Amino acid sequence: MLELKPPLVLLSGPAGFGEYLKLIDHRFVGAVVLKTVTFKPRGGNPPPRMAEGPFFLLNSIGLENPGVLSFLEDLPKLAVPTIASFGGETYEEYLEIAKLVKDKAKEFVAVEFNFSCPNVKEGGLTIVRDKEKWRRLLVELREILDDSFLIAKVGIEGLFVEDAAEMAYQAGWNGMTLVNTVRGLIVDKGKILLGGLSGPILKPIALRAVYEVKRRFPNLYVIGSGGVYSVEDAKDYLMVGADAIGIGSALFKDPGIVEEIGRYLLEVRR
Amino acid sequence: MERFCLTKRDVFRVNEDTWIVSFEETIDFLPGQFLMVETPKLVRKPFALGYWGGHLAISVQIKGVGTSWIVHESKRLKAHGPLGNGFVKPGKGALLISPTCVTMAWAFKKFMDVDVIVGSRTPVLLDLGFETVVGDEAFLEKLREVSRKDYDWYLVAGSRSMEKVCWEELKGKREVYFSLEEYMACGIGACKSCATLTNFGIKHVCTDGPVFRGEDLCWS
Ligand SMILES: Cc1cc2nc3c(=O)[nH]c(=O)nc-3n(C[C@H](O)[C@H](O)[C@H](O)COP(=O)(O)O)c2cc1C
Ligand code: FES
Repeated sequence: MLELKPPLVLLSGPAGFGEYLKLIDHRFVGAVVLKTVTFKPRGGNPPPRMAEGPFFLLNSIGLENPGVLSFLEDLPKLAVPTIASFGGETYEEYLEIAKLVKDKAKEFVAVEFNFSCPNVKEGGLTIVRDKEKWRRLLVELREILDDSFLIAKVGIEGLFVEDAAEMAYQAGWNGMTLVNTVRGLIVDKGKILLGGLSGPILKPIALRAVYEVKRRFPNLYVIGSGGVYSVEDAKDYLMVGADAIGIGSALFKDPGIVEEIGRYLLEVRR
Repeated sequence: MERFCLTKRDVFRVNEDTWIVSFEETIDFLPGQFLMVETPKLVRKPFALGYWGGHLAISVQIKGVGTSWIVHESKRLKAHGPLGNGFVKPGKGALLISPTCVTMAWAFKKFMDVDVIVGSRTPVLLDLGFETVVGDEAFLEKLREVSRKDYDWYLVAGSRSMEKVCWEELKGKREVYFSLEEYMACGIGACKSCATLTNFGIKHVCTDGPVFRGEDLCWS
């Protein structure tokens, strides 16, 4: 089991490689999920990469990261438990990553696979489209990383979350992060911007996803991800069964909120 | 870098849309560095650190509800900083800025030997303490004059169009710098939202900048 104290994680992407730990009291962070690392290095998408509306952020970072080889050569050493996040552009890349990571997997309290980035042309969200192939991928990754606490991060597109959960559960995965950003589009000064939606707009969607999954698979460890900005938001996630609370976009508004929510979770989960 | 709260001391109107906000507190920083300030919106906004009347201050151009809130409603501001790389140069420099960088210019004055020229599109309502020109034509004329003087270095901080005009005029000079204002979400190198294309690939304004050499930027 994953015992995070508090059960609060900084989500992959907004949390970078732990930079926010310079601004937040570590006692209130259960774990940091590192930025998704892919097989090859990626420069990311051209700017502009982010825009905001009243209830959402739209990002198209495009998985900028140094690639798995440089990542493994120079693993971030954080003062809090760390969860690695990996994503491939193809089936084979996911497997290659898992093989490369195997030796170092002990450095992480869990390993998350991102099956849901909406901002890359290959892989990302599209990997779950072929259900049978994805099922096989889950089984193979489980076999390679037989010792790790494995978390599948999915979105709401390509597959119903409860179906995704069933496949992950049957393949022996330990947990899920629900949900990743949802594909969105805004028109800004006459220009179309594509990206993934996060922030408050995502909360009811993610709550429903957590609810549907936990009701069917109470033993899957679920990290709720979407629009947590306050203790009240965190309570809602606990109510629908989330095992841990993820904070992403709210870091951009006020990193201090992590301490408030973390303090609350330490109290109720003592 | 740390989190803190700033207490508003005063606001001064610079021109049609730009204001100076000064604070009671002081913090240590270098010219060019910035801080991220919370507003009622979802993402903190970056502001160059500077001084006004000897007090810590930022200049705020009102662009929407967030910036309007900072100027007109807030009393205390949550922020984190100082962020980005400081810029300190020997020799005699020229600083070409829009009114949104007036407070930053006072920080430059404190550390460097620098002449400051402010170019404003609309009439300026306050004595800024620097040579100030109003309107595009007047600015262009001033720019040519400054270019003829051959300073050791130049730094431009303003709108994208101002940067372009200045680069056209100054690109033959040895050292020309630009302080960029890209969209930022974290300011600390975590989110990768502040990417800008340079001749050396993608750079991040918050950690690689905010000041870049003119010849490293993509101007097309
Ligand atoms: C700027 C940005 C970058 C992101 N990058 C990643 C990523 O690399 N990997 C990933 O699994 N999720 C990524 N996400 C999604 C977040 O981890 C999170 O699941 C989503 O934003 C919803 O939570 P929030 O509303 O708290 O932000 C990113 C989100 C944002 C806003
Ligand atoms: S603003 Fe987040 S990396 Fe620069």
